[in-house]
Amino acid sequence: MRKRDWMFWAGAAYLVLLVLGAILVPIFGPAYTEEVGPKFEPPGAKYWFGTDELGRDVFARVMYGARVSLFIGITVQLIALAVGITVGVLGVFAPKWFRVPLMRFTDGMFAFPDLLLAVLLIAVFGMGVQPVIAALAITHWPAMARLVQTQTASLKDREFVTAARALGGSTAYVAIRHILPQMWGVVLAVAMVDLAATILSESTLSFLGIGVQAPEPSWGSMIMRARANMQSHPEMLLWPCLILSATIFALNFVGDGLRAALDPRSK
Amino acid sequence: MRLAKALLLRLLYGVVSLIFISFVAFLADEVAPGDAASVRAGEKATVEQIERLREQMGLKRPMMVRYGEWLWKAAHLDFGTSYYGTREPVIDIVRRNLPMTMKIAFLAILLSAAIGIALGTAAAVWENRVPDRAVLTLSTLGVTLPNFVLAPILVYVFAQQLDRLPQNWGTPLVAPEWMYLVLPVCVLAARPMATLTRLTRASMVETLKQEFIKLAVAKGVPPRRLIFRHALRNAILPVITATGTSFGFLLTGSFVVETFFTLPGIGREAIEAIQKGNMPVVQACILITGVMFILLNMLVDLVLPVLDPRIRESQV
Repeated sequence: MRKRDWMFWAGAAYLVLLVLGAILVPIFGPAYTEEVGPKFEPPGAKYWFGTDELGRDVFARVMYGARVSLFIGITVQLIALAVGITVGVLGVFAPKWFRVPLMRFTDGMFAFPDLLLAVLLIAVFGMGVQPVIAALAITHWPAMARLVQTQTASLKDREFVTAARALGGSTAYVAIRHILPQMWGVVLAVAMVDLAATILSESTLSFLGIGVQAPEPSWGSMIMRARANMQSHPEMLLWPCLILSATIFALNFVGDGLRAALDPRSK
Repeated sequence: MRLAKALLLRLLYGVVSLIFISFVAFLADEVAPGDAASVRAGEKATVEQIERLREQMGLKRPMMVRYGEWLWKAAHLDFGTSYYGTREPVIDIVRRNLPMTMKIAFLAILLSAAIGIALGTAAAVWENRVPDRAVLTLSTLGVTLPNFVLAPILVYVFAQQLDRLPQNWGTPLVAPEWMYLVLPVCVLAARPMATLTRLTRASMVETLKQEFIKLAVAKGVPPRRLIFRHALRNAILPVITATGTSFGFLLTGSFVVETFFTLPGIGREAIEAIQKGNMPVVQACILITGVMFILLNMLVDLVLPVLDPRIRESQV
């Protein structure tokens, strides 16, 4: 338990710093497209993370990358939450002719590897921020829908629900006011962990060169560019790799910690 | 009877998935700007010329008719010709690139199964002791660390600092081919290795608690025989299923590894084709990997009752 707490707080502190940096960098930091100084400058007081192959401030680029990644990740999660909660609740309360095919379809979405489907959808939609959001939202909602559906199904026959129904509550009222509030903790925790997966998928697509497009910086595309210069300047890989990995670990730690704290059933 | 029904349902499910993936692959060319006619007509063609070509090529027929025709041709491995470059048949491009993808995926799954099962068993045997903790930490790292972060670390250490392995695929090869494959296979194997380790551990821990193990201990079965003959044989089934599934994921997950190590594989080909808008190649690459993935998963599910009498009986 101690260790869990420690990991949770370390992750949370890191995420707060990252979000602060992402919010504040346009106000205080240099613009990411500007060539601010000499090329391949080592980290120092002026350029915290050094400069890249075009003399741009790596710290600013990493922070702008955080803006892009967090924006895409959170938007995708919000869409996944909205669709997942709707589908999950309908998957329990809708009439059978609708509910069964709906959940079959949801399960069918799991039949494809995330990345393959996302790449295919990018091929359909084109490249850039909005297509990435669309592709990732389509690949990420089924997991949320499954979670909400099982949670709702397990809560639906509990006594407090029967009581609310006996008092004359309609299905919609019971679902929204009595059942959904019970599962916020678990849903939030899972959304945190899935946010890590979303950010990873976005970075993967950007790394492959079919996600976020230049000049918009993204951790994935920074890694790809740094890879091209790896022979002469391997240190360019350090920051985007480090920040991306740290973000993914932090989100996992916080998500797991939240689940442990909010869901009494899991230890 | 129940088993037959379950298997039939599984088969039906697979067929629906196949139809879905093929339809989305077909849509890719429908939605993307530029079609076969405008590419064939060339950049200088007038709108009327392109329209006439469209008419000739049958692109004006209803979508479902064209989907049917496209699927029929695809089933006979005819994916049309590449939009750009040499305009060679797409199937030739696939034939050239598929072996590399299959090779690294196959080697990676062998590696990850071998190491995963070994580490998982060790962790279960020494549950909650130092080896277990070390293995758990390692597998957490393996699951969480992105492929394209692990790859530069390994390249930096083994190709640049130690200078033992080549960094990029290049023609002509200056070293034996296997040396080029060591790092990609390791990177590709990391994630399935971690999941298989965890699964083996969980399954073994569960099995080691059961009655027949206690009986075997009481009978005086030597530890080695106990672990490998009695426990592992019972614990391995979910691991086999997961190995099959992971293999499918590796086939599709080779995008990153092939791009990073510039290997001539189907994943890298697909990504390049997306960037160029070369839709027939995209369709072929994605359809082929998708179909392999679905068939493989179906095969695993269908073979499982053969391997495990418990599943057979529970469904009879």
